[in-house]
Amino acid sequence: MTGTPVVFVVDDDPSVRSSLKFLISSEGLQVESFDSADSFLRRKPPDAPTCLVLDVRLRGLSGLDFQRELAAKNIRIPIVFITGHGDIPMTVRAMKAGAIEFLTKPFRDQDLLDAVRIALERDRARREQEKEVADLQQRFKSLTPREQEVISMVASGMLNKQIAGQLGVAENTVKVHRSRAMEKMHAQSFAELVRMIEKLKSPSEKAS
Amino acid sequence: MPFLWLSVFKKMTSETQGARRSTEPLDLRDLIETIPALVLCALADGSAEFANRAWQEYSGRPLQELTGSGWQTTIHPDDIANFFHESTVALVSGKSIETEARLRRADGQYHWFSIRKTLAVSRSQNSEPSLRTLIACEDIDERKREEAARRFTEEKYRLVVETASDVVISMDESSTIQFANPATTRIFGYDPAELIGKPLTILMPEFLRKLHEAGFKRYIATGQRHINWQGTELIGRRKNGQEFPVEVSFGELTDNSHRLFTGFIRDISERKQAEEIRKQAQKAIQTTQAELARMSRLTTMGELAASIAHEVNQPLTAINNNSNACLRFLANKNLKPDVLRRALEEIVADGTRASAIIARIRAFIKKAPAEKSRLDVNEVIGEVVAMMAHGFEENRIVLQSELARALPPVLGDRVQLQQVLLNLIMNGTEALTAVTDRPRLLWVESRIDDSGDVLIAVRDSGTGLGLEADRIFTPFFTTKAKGMGMGLSISRSLVEGHGGRLWVTGNSPHGAVFSFTLPADARSPS
Repeated sequence: MTGTPVVFVVDDDPSVRSSLKFLISSEGLQVESFDSADSFLRRKPPDAPTCLVLDVRLRGLSGLDFQRELAAKNIRIPIVFITGHGDIPMTVRAMKAGAIEFLTKPFRDQDLLDAVRIALERDRARREQEKEVADLQQRFKSLTPREQEVISMVASGMLNKQIAGQLGVAENTVKVHRSRAMEKMHAQSFAELVRMIEKLKSPSEKAS
Repeated sequence: MPFLWLSVFKKMTSETQGARRSTEPLDLRDLIETIPALVLCALADGSAEFANRAWQEYSGRPLQELTGSGWQTTIHPDDIANFFHESTVALVSGKSIETEARLRRADGQYHWFSIRKTLAVSRSQNSEPSLRTLIACEDIDERKREEAARRFTEEKYRLVVETASDVVISMDESSTIQFANPATTRIFGYDPAELIGKPLTILMPEFLRKLHEAGFKRYIATGQRHINWQGTELIGRRKNGQEFPVEVSFGELTDNSHRLFTGFIRDISERKQAEEIRKQAQKAIQTTQAELARMSRLTTMGELAASIAHEVNQPLTAINNNSNACLRFLANKNLKPDVLRRALEEIVADGTRASAIIARIRAFIKKAPAEKSRLDVNEVIGEVVAMMAHGFEENRIVLQSELARALPPVLGDRVQLQQVLLNLIMNGTEALTAVTDRPRLLWVESRIDDSGDVLIAVRDSGTGLGLEADRIFTPFFTTKAKGMGMGLSISRSLVEGHGGRLWVTGNSPHGAVFSFTLPADARSPS
């Protein structure tokens, strides 16, 4: 289902680039390197956890600008920054914008590899979560409009009786809608159904 | 007013009797008619008995109009009272007297005359003695006018001297003060009257008095001046003993055997004070400038150090990464020989790269001399360009060097000239980063200019300077967001310190050209 994780390295210095690739590959990770932000952008993102090891000082565009550009394009790849001479404001800016780590050259190999691992893990988790939400959305869409309505009301804490009163139907009818909806949503319990509805709500709320 | 008039004919007759006896008889009237003076004979009652031709011609009236009291109308109305009063005095004293009065000319104009009146008793053989007045008038109008003009001029000068804010003082050849203007009160505290008759040395401090006396004596004797007479700065001494700076000028006036010296003494305390303040301010500015130059140099060195650190970091990082990766593969017993070889090759290459950078820095520091030495400008350019190589690459700037071969050496401070070049190239680089629609080009040129100086130019295709070109050399003026505005100002003083010039012109079609010259070393054999 999900492919092998890939680490992307973007650095304009050929020897640093090649050595980074070599070092990260020693962990058994798949590495792809690029000499510029543009060539990285031309690579179609794989369906796998990824992270980006990015030099702050790039030819033309700075790494920090590139970070902002990725965010603007809604490309949510975790970034590990490396820099020749980082200062505090630069670090703060990068971290605030969601960077995983900000390493100053020459860095300890373990620090970089740890950061890469964390970045991949975070990307994997994010992808999993996104996938789960996508699944739930799929299931939710398979419900009839009345079933959707009923379980939304259930999740908000209303009793069957209250729902029946509000919808103008018999309480038994509500119970039938509810059990069918739970079945379609693959919910093992009432509590799980409520959690599912919460997860479905959160991305749409974030988007609004 | 009763007047008595006497004739002097008798007297004149008796005076000339001897002559008549020996020669032809002479009619005195004929003689009087021929002289240019105006002559009139009046009787005791003031009526004229006779007026000579000169009088008639001057007044434009025939004799019959002048005889009787008619002649009196030729006297200016304002002078009549005085005219006759003097006559009375003459009568009483029995002497001839002189006075001045205005007489009317035929055209109605009045001229000043000097008038001499003589009283005489005339005794005829058979009549009572009678008194007559002989009046002789001489036209002094022109003299009067000249005198008035002279007096006006004198008055004018007197006024200038009296109101002058500087001291004007005159002394004779014994250095005794003859004249002093009122400014002496304000400046020296002496009233002019106090100074008259005193030696000039009263206005000098003790140590100058002997010098003045000796010097002035020598001048009187030999004509040799001991000080410059125009605008010499000396020390004056006030009445209260206070000494103060003065500026003195002297002039000499020789009239027959008289020698008069006039001096102008200006109190320059305030000017001196202002000069002192200005000098101190200038010194402060120089100190500040030197301090700023030092700071800027440190800043430039700091930037340079950061740039160098970055450059050294790159190969070090690569070496670390490669080595660590090898260790990791080794730990996993998964290090293949060809992978190891490639890694080691890269490590060696990066080590070499790092030491090359270090060698460059060392060369840069070593070459920094304490003082000026003979330099090859092209070599200096090459060093700076090498330092900036990363900046060019980073900003996608294409550098073109156009260096003249066989340039004469210049005498200069290598570090300072590097700093100037670095500054100009950095400015050019910054001007180019704003360019997005055309190639970013930077030229560095060297050549010999028309006057034989070495000329270095840094030319860019950047945004140019426009109206700000005039101001960019002013300290603290900057077009950059983070600039301090000292770079070009300091660069210019450094170039000028080498006897050269630094200026800017526009580049066609875009950008600016900063050029500076350095004089070729005179000891150069070429």
